[in-house]
Amino acid sequence: MVLNKIASSAIRVAALTSVCVAASAADFPNPLPAEPNLKIETLPAKYPTGWAFLNYAGDRIELRNVGSDSREVKGELQAHDSATLLIADQRPELYVIDTVWSRGARGERTDFITVYDKQTLNVAGEIVLPGGKRALITAMEGLTTFTDDQRMELVFNFTPASSVTVVDLVNRRVLGDIDIPGCSLVYPTGVRGFSTLCASGTLLSIKLDAAGAVAGRAESKAFNPLDTDPLFTASTTVAGIRYFPSLHGRIQPIDMRTDDVKIMADWPLVTAAEASAGWRPSGWQLVASDESKLLYVLMQPDAHEGSHKDPATEVWIYNVAGKTRIKRLRLVRPGSSIAITHGTDPLLLVQAGERLDAYDARDGGLVRSMDLPGFRSRLQIDTLR
Amino acid sequence: MAQFDKLTEKMLRGFAGRTSRRSVFSILGTMLTGAATLPLLPVARAMASERPSSSDPNSGDTPPQSTGNPQDPGDPSKCDYWRYCAIDGSLCSCYGGTMNSCPPGTEMSPITWIGTCRNPADDRNYIVSYNDCCGGVPWGRCACQNNIGDRPVVRPQNNNEVTWCFGTQSQSYTCSVAIILGVAIDQK
Repeated sequence: MVLNKIASSAIRVAALTSVCVAASAADFPNPLPAEPNLKIETLPAKYPTGWAFLNYAGDRIELRNVGSDSREVKGELQAHDSATLLIADQRPELYVIDTVWSRGARGERTDFITVYDKQTLNVAGEIVLPGGKRALITAMEGLTTFTDDQRMELVFNFTPASSVTVVDLVNRRVLGDIDIPGCSLVYPTGVRGFSTLCASGTLLSIKLDAAGAVAGRAESKAFNPLDTDPLFTASTTVAGIRYFPSLHGRIQPIDMRTDDVKIMADWPLVTAAEASAGWRPSGWQLVASDESKLLYVLMQPDAHEGSHKDPATEVWIYNVAGKTRIKRLRLVRPGSSIAITHGTDPLLLVQAGERLDAYDARDGGLVRSMDLPGFRSRLQIDTLR
Repeated sequence: MAQFDKLTEKMLRGFAGRTSRRSVFSILGTMLTGAATLPLLPVARAMASERPSSSDPNSGDTPPQSTGNPQDPGDPSKCDYWRYCAIDGSLCSCYGGTMNSCPPGTEMSPITWIGTCRNPADDRNYIVSYNDCCGGVPWGRCACQNNIGDRPVVRPQNNNEVTWCFGTQSQSYTCSVAIILGVAIDQK
């Protein structure tokens, strides 16, 4: 009976549709042309600055047009477990590190870098990482980085022994491993090298030679108070200086531009009164910077032990030269990850639950809000130059 | 356990051969996360008045569970069960396991990360080992994000973003359990 009703409705709709088509055909004397089949989209050689890559906790990576209201999704990249993305601008390539098992969740483990062509998103090459040791940690900053002017990629390993695999991206081969006992993550340093944060509260900086071997090693004094006010591992760079917020509201600048790494003087993001009100940084990708050299930090009130990864209600904006806050932006809904697009009309992107809100970075107005289908836990946003 | 001892020995011998003594100590801080050695570790403790952090709405509606023990109150299939105070992942109670056992067909990682949670029934702080179960079928049911005592990955033994599937045949994450190791010694 129900089926009969559906069939009857369908026939009526079909009849109406054909009447409409017949009625309007005079307005369009020529039929639509035949279209080519087997057509596949390609992307521009240089992506617009209004696009951004969104990494769903290493499970999925998509290229989104966040700068306009039409045809948002531009492409997707395969990702399985803690996958991370690097975007080259020296070569027309993208690099995704991923891990799979030969039988789904079991079988032989393979860690590998997929090299994608930026225009076609076709696989241009693959580099297998030996040893099954890359760190399987929710996709975030510090798991991988370029160095040597993007000729090398560094991969953080955790087994739970810590090491770094050095990869030659030009010749697409692994150069070797460097042990970094007791230290975690990689941040690009100098012309060819990296720094890593250590459990003793220090920063270990390693200089590499052209073959990817250790050419120098320097360790700072302890500056990261892990027991009382540790630094988040998320950072952003302003004028080449890397800024790490701390759980209780300091900002720690570190100059990694040369091999002579300098731990600079930290300064507070909050006044004493704001600290008393429980204002602290919180979120996931919780800091960003723009081309005007402003620093953006996600902040939450009434913070308490365990709330440091909760969504934040405001973004506080700082002039780092003057160490002063210049604006507070109240978000339309609490956000966990932020990034700023480049170009003439910068957008402040805020992942807020299953939404991606785009604000005008200059006046703070909400420009548009997009959905994040399949979002479950963390989002890493990469904007494009 | 024997397998874990062998693994640990192999790892430590490897490290000793290529690292300084100071480095070995820093590694030990990272590695001594096996169940037998856990009470020796310095533990970032949650205070009595602290409440669990946000719980993920993906937890959904699951039929209520109970330990049946009034000294172990709460629902082990919900994010706000007391010993899940620092859990970030899916609850094994929703996959055929319990709060302290893995679902059938998976393996439990012997190397873990730890937290400290206050039991509201007896008002004691307990050291909790968050073992991951590995090699099974993950699909996001009963996902929780509680972060009391969680610290950045620079101190990995207190970080809940790491997939703690080590010493298992598969390192593919399925779900997490929370095992009581003992009562935490109060730090004055």
